[in-house]
Amino acid sequence: MKALQALFDRIVQRVNINLRELAIDVRPYVDGLVPFEQLTKFYAFYGVTPHHALDLQFRKSSLAGSYFLGKCCATGSILYKTDIRGDELKKEGDIYSYKTFNIAISEDEAIRIQDSLLVKTLVHNFSHDPETLENFFITNTVSLHYANIHGSPTDGSYLGPFATVDLTTMNDCVIGAFSYIQAGEIGHLDIEPGTVWVRNPDQFNFLYRYPQEKLRPYIHFAAGQTPHGVLMDFVEQRKEAFQHVFEKVNLEPVVVPDTSSLDRFAVIKPKTIIRENVLVAQRAYLENAYLGKGANAQENCYIINSRLEGNNVTAHGGKIIEADLEPNVFVGFNSFLYGRPGSRLTIGQDCIIMPHTIIDIQQPLAIPAGHLVWGLVTGQADLATNSIPLEALSEVKDSQCVGDMYFEGDGGRFVKAFRDRIHHILEANGAFYDGSNHKGHAQKNQNISFNTIQPYPEGEFKGLYPTIVIRP
Amino acid sequence: MNTFTVKDLMVPLSEYATVPLGTTLFEAMLALEKAQEEFDHTKYKHRGILILDDSKRVIGKLSHLHALSALEPKADESSSIKELGQFGFSSGFIRGLRKKRRLQEAPLSDLCRKAVELKVEDFMHITAEDEFIDHAATLDMAIHQLVQEKLLALLVTRDGRTIGILRVADVFAAVYHHMTECTLEQEGL
Repeated sequence: MKALQALFDRIVQRVNINLRELAIDVRPYVDGLVPFEQLTKFYAFYGVTPHHALDLQFRKSSLAGSYFLGKCCATGSILYKTDIRGDELKKEGDIYSYKTFNIAISEDEAIRIQDSLLVKTLVHNFSHDPETLENFFITNTVSLHYANIHGSPTDGSYLGPFATVDLTTMNDCVIGAFSYIQAGEIGHLDIEPGTVWVRNPDQFNFLYRYPQEKLRPYIHFAAGQTPHGVLMDFVEQRKEAFQHVFEKVNLEPVVVPDTSSLDRFAVIKPKTIIRENVLVAQRAYLENAYLGKGANAQENCYIINSRLEGNNVTAHGGKIIEADLEPNVFVGFNSFLYGRPGSRLTIGQDCIIMPHTIIDIQQPLAIPAGHLVWGLVTGQADLATNSIPLEALSEVKDSQCVGDMYFEGDGGRFVKAFRDRIHHILEANGAFYDGSNHKGHAQKNQNISFNTIQPYPEGEFKGLYPTIVIRP
Repeated sequence: MNTFTVKDLMVPLSEYATVPLGTTLFEAMLALEKAQEEFDHTKYKHRGILILDDSKRVIGKLSHLHALSALEPKADESSSIKELGQFGFSSGFIRGLRKKRRLQEAPLSDLCRKAVELKVEDFMHITAEDEFIDHAATLDMAIHQLVQEKLLALLVTRDGRTIGILRVADVFAAVYHHMTECTLEQEGL
């Protein structure tokens, strides 16, 4: 296992070199976090469909438990239980619009991961950087449990557990646990845990930062420790159910409508109903869940004892427990909506639950239709400081501060940007499929074949995968 | 001049106004005011007061500015607003936020409550390592330390205990007198 240790050391060194300006040493955070023995236990796998590119290249890497779809390349990297989902990459000949530019895509876009350590991370979407439209790169980077790298070329950075970087090009940054960053382009920033930042320069700027002492019970990560807190406990308690679907070749079939897609690596518990045009991605967990027409559950989503009435987007890592969502509710990345039996959470139509929102209630709570909600909400009183009617926000022309939320810019543009994106996500997921038009992931991701690949079982290269190139 | 040591110029601790930890803002301001009144009447003139811990060690200093800073909004809120700059918020937005917070805080409206609630340890200047000098150090060393660290006074120690204060005014006076003497000598007067 010498080669694996050398690879790990090399990655850590490269990340530290990039983060030297911030005086960050990631080694104490990652040493021992993923026991190397684990890296030899799990197979990696990839999807084959007629709808997606098949162009995979793996060199000098460990890929334990990781999944690949589309055009992806991993070199000198350790990917542990990580999903590289290349089903939204740009294709040669596509035209990408950026401000006044219409840029032709010169070749199929690829996700290229080099000299990086990704642990239980999701990589999805496509590069939004107009300078690297064909190359969605992740280099010299460490990302930890349940982080999301979504449409964000990343170099020399560290993402803590449950951190998300979305539609942002990132260089030499530290993103603390449970922080969500969507800011176009950032560099040399040290973002503290629980920061939710959405910025479109010259248009709007939204910022909320969790009080650290209130975030700590949910997620806390320090050097020499494993990530811990309510969020980690929640997923760990359901880990066994996933072992079942990953270990068994033939699973009991679950019937879903012809226009819906249920990934064979999702966990479906009893009393779950899936309607038309629904997308259920791998590593999603449904238990006594109703997913109405056009709803979806992305990777690492948990929907338990809940009803989603239709066209509901539950972004990667969203968790919905004991809740009733009216149509067109958006639940952002890694949000944790935690109702209780007898204290259910109701969310009205067209609400936008910001990424990385925590709603943890002991009494019933109803969020009125058409509201934006963010931060930590533990009861009715918190809605005064952690929500705003979308209509009111649309009227903001200059600035607005509510509780610990700061907003500057054009509220109307902010709301429109969110609504447009939600519409795009529904469209991409196939929520609007009418039997002939508007096919999306729910229709295209059906009947995926999965092949597995394995590492060296022993010897110097134990845990590493041989060089593998997979093409049609 | 080179024969001067720090202890030759320092003000003994016993001549200085001191208060213990736990002193309220009001009591500290009384002590400051008393120090002010004595400023013009005593041999050793000083404006500030020193804070002593339970074992009579100097652990902090207090000036007019420190006392007034106790009335300011909490430092963490202030730095929290300052940090907004790195997130791309405009300077106009940050200024507006500061102004709004200032109006909400209204520091002077709650003066009586703060006078008895705030403790001196909440707003004193905590002395740092570079503010201490040994009593046997030469004046040259003291000047170097005052200039390099941009300090108005040094706490003088002997065997680890603070025994006095070396003020920049006293050092300046010593230098001035020496300079005057040697200039007169050179001119043969």
